[in-house]
Amino acid sequence: MDIMTKESALGNQETAAEGAAGDAAVNSRKYLIFIADDLYLGVDAEYVVEILNNHTITPLPMTPHYIRGIFNMRGQIIPILDIRLKLGKPSADDNLLIVISYNETQIGIVVDSVDQMVDIPDDIILPMPSKSPQRLVSGMCTLPNSSKTMLVLDCEQLLAHD
Amino acid sequence: MGSGNDMLEVYIYEGNSLLEQLEAIVLDAEQVNTFSEENVNEIFRIMHTLKGSSAMMEFNSLATVAHRIEDLFFIIRDNSMDVVSEENRPALFDLLFQAIDFFRTEIGKIEADEPLSNDFGTLLPNVNSLIAKISGEEAPADAPAAAPAAAAGQPAQEAAQASSEGMADFPYELRVFFDEGCGMENLRAFMLVTSIRDFCAESDFLFEPADVENNAATAEQICDTGFLLRFAHAEDREKAIPVVRSSGSIRTYQPHDYHPEPAPEAAETAEAHAAPSPSVKHTAAQHAGGGSSTQASRPKESLISVNLSKLDQLSAIVGEIVITESMVTGSPDLAGLNLDSFSKSARQLRKLTDELQDISMSLRMIPVSSTFQKMNRIVRDMCKKLNKSAKLTLVGEDTEMDKTIVDGIGDTIMHMIRNSMDHGIEETQEERIKAGKDPEGEIILSAQDTGSEVIIQIQDDGQGVDDEKVLQKAIKSGIASPDQDYSHREILNFLMMPGFSTNTDVTEFSGRGVGMDVVKKSVEDLGGTVSISSEQGKGMSTTLRIPLTMAIMDGMKVSVGNSIFTIPIHNIRQSFKVSQANILRDSVEGEMIHIMDNYYPIIRAKELYNIEGGEDCIDNGILLWLESGDCSYCLFVDELLGQQQIVVKPLPAYVNNFDIKNYGITGCSILGDGNISIILDVRNLYMAACDR
Repeated sequence: MDIMTKESALGNQETAAEGAAGDAAVNSRKYLIFIADDLYLGVDAEYVVEILNNHTITPLPMTPHYIRGIFNMRGQIIPILDIRLKLGKPSADDNLLIVISYNETQIGIVVDSVDQMVDIPDDIILPMPSKSPQRLVSGMCTLPNSSKTMLVLDCEQLLAHD
Repeated sequence: MGSGNDMLEVYIYEGNSLLEQLEAIVLDAEQVNTFSEENVNEIFRIMHTLKGSSAMMEFNSLATVAHRIEDLFFIIRDNSMDVVSEENRPALFDLLFQAIDFFRTEIGKIEADEPLSNDFGTLLPNVNSLIAKISGEEAPADAPAAAPAAAAGQPAQEAAQASSEGMADFPYELRVFFDEGCGMENLRAFMLVTSIRDFCAESDFLFEPADVENNAATAEQICDTGFLLRFAHAEDREKAIPVVRSSGSIRTYQPHDYHPEPAPEAAETAEAHAAPSPSVKHTAAQHAGGGSSTQASRPKESLISVNLSKLDQLSAIVGEIVITESMVTGSPDLAGLNLDSFSKSARQLRKLTDELQDISMSLRMIPVSSTFQKMNRIVRDMCKKLNKSAKLTLVGEDTEMDKTIVDGIGDTIMHMIRNSMDHGIEETQEERIKAGKDPEGEIILSAQDTGSEVIIQIQDDGQGVDDEKVLQKAIKSGIASPDQDYSHREILNFLMMPGFSTNTDVTEFSGRGVGMDVVKKSVEDLGGTVSISSEQGKGMSTTLRIPLTMAIMDGMKVSVGNSIFTIPIHNIRQSFKVSQANILRDSVEGEMIHIMDNYYPIIRAKELYNIEGGEDCIDNGILLWLESGDCSYCLFVDELLGQQQIVVKPLPAYVNNFDIKNYGITGCSILGDGNISIILDVRNLYMAACDR
């Protein structure tokens, strides 16, 4: 099994985040940015347990369609959620799995690819402009050193049952 | 953590078990309206222990109450039960129940770290007035000389024995042996003597060797022959036993009675009979270990309390070991190799892990008896309050269940019993007589272990459920629609809907309409089901079925498409191939099959679960005839993959919230190759298929 651990991902981020690290006065958080259907979504790196790219999904009947099933992570049974399907987009085939642990719930999120780790000062994250139809997102910001916009993933909403 | 906390835990544990013992004694005694001599001694001992340990922990209010009750039983013990006249007995029983409740609340407060109340309510005055009453009555009734000598024992008897020489005066012996090599035996013995002096007059006991205090040479003698205590009264020895037991470095002790040739008096033989019982109990405790389930004789020494989470860890690890073992012995690397000694050792390993598994699973199992016994009290109290007469019959109280289940069903059973008492049993005895029933109502509480589940049944022979009334009520509360017909079964199910209660008056016991739905909820939380049956005029019975928590079970792996499911082996009656020609159809396109003179529905797993791939043609797959309780059906799957022992893992809470339990998906297990197999619940699967 190919496992890219958090540590190695953190290594990449060291260089990427140098620009932002200068002004230490403001609290900043590390975010792991992943791509799902051309969206740049950032998840607080604190919640990320592991990034896996090789896993066997066991489908679980009678669950909503965005639950792809469960998988065995070293003896732990972890549900897998397809973020594309949850966002109402079509599912893609070759996927990467980000395992997050939020409020003692562990869940794997199927995403297209992982971009980078960035340090984002809290004050540049802006609330979503309006009552946007885009759910699962709690804020947004423009990434330093690039013109891309990151959407902050709201884990609370992601795990909520509707 | 400090030893203070440990001591507190021990105190709470001990206190609670003593109260349970006491309650059982009082309940039994109330039936016959008297305390046997043994009971009196036992209660005396319980109160004494409670007093001692409460005082030690500085819970003074508890110690005070225990002390007064001890005083009360001191009088009863010395003068036999006759001292309490018939009309005072109900007061005595009520008093004891009141005291038990008092202790329970206070101990509960201690547990919750709340301040103790110093308000005894009516308890202490009640005890005092009862003491006054019985000691007032006793004076004229007894021989006049005996009255002032209440504490000193039975002078008459003593006088009778004085004629016989020497030891006959002190016939009740207690031989104490100290731990080997503990040293200073003589001083230890002397300390024992000092503590016995606390409750026993010096003239009432002797000890041998007598010069232990000053003569160090006696240490050797004590080593060899033990330290002999002689008591004039059996009860003093009784009191000494706990003292001996609680002092340090005691290896063992043996009570023994010195018998002067013919047993002098009937009274004395009775005492002598009672006296050996502690020794019997004690040796039984040493030899038998656990085993016995009766509260009274449960040996404290052989029990330890263990944090439940440790047991969970243990069974989790044992589960992993079992899986790993089968991964090792079934490793594909070994295929084709001829490994004689390896297979031999592997078999041995298998045997040991099997044993380990059994033991680790039995650790969490406790009998339901303690929970069941508590219900006696509920029935008794409610009988008094509601002025009804009913008895509780317990069946199968030694059935063992997982501790979490036993803890979880206590309130549920209590609720059902209260329901039965409140709504089930008729208001008056006349009504029952008119209906041709025994004037005394009966509630039967039974537990039964079927191997896969525990069935708990609460049955009463009361008036049963009035369908019409229930329906009216259901319509009024908007659960049922007025222009629809409901079957008897459906009407009974209304009882379990949230916010439904037929009794318009809110009673102290049965609450306010949060009854049956709460029961249903809490049983479902344990993975179980509730069903009600009732016949008007004959009574009602509620059945709780709770699956045994089996961390490890035998399952049959089956495949449907790419999915692998595991079905508990004990639910499978048979598996067989059929051809399309044997399939019958009912009016709504349901499939059925005719086996052994009966028709069974066929459920296709593929269709129920919308699985991609998998067999559609019944000829190519296989049918499994499944059975659970009263449901019996055939499940159509692609293929049997073989039997395997599996470790049941719960599904993540996140997916459980999607209510998949109700579709028969209860858990999963990790297979040897790391894949996951989903465990099916035969009963819920059937229910889900019926609802479609």
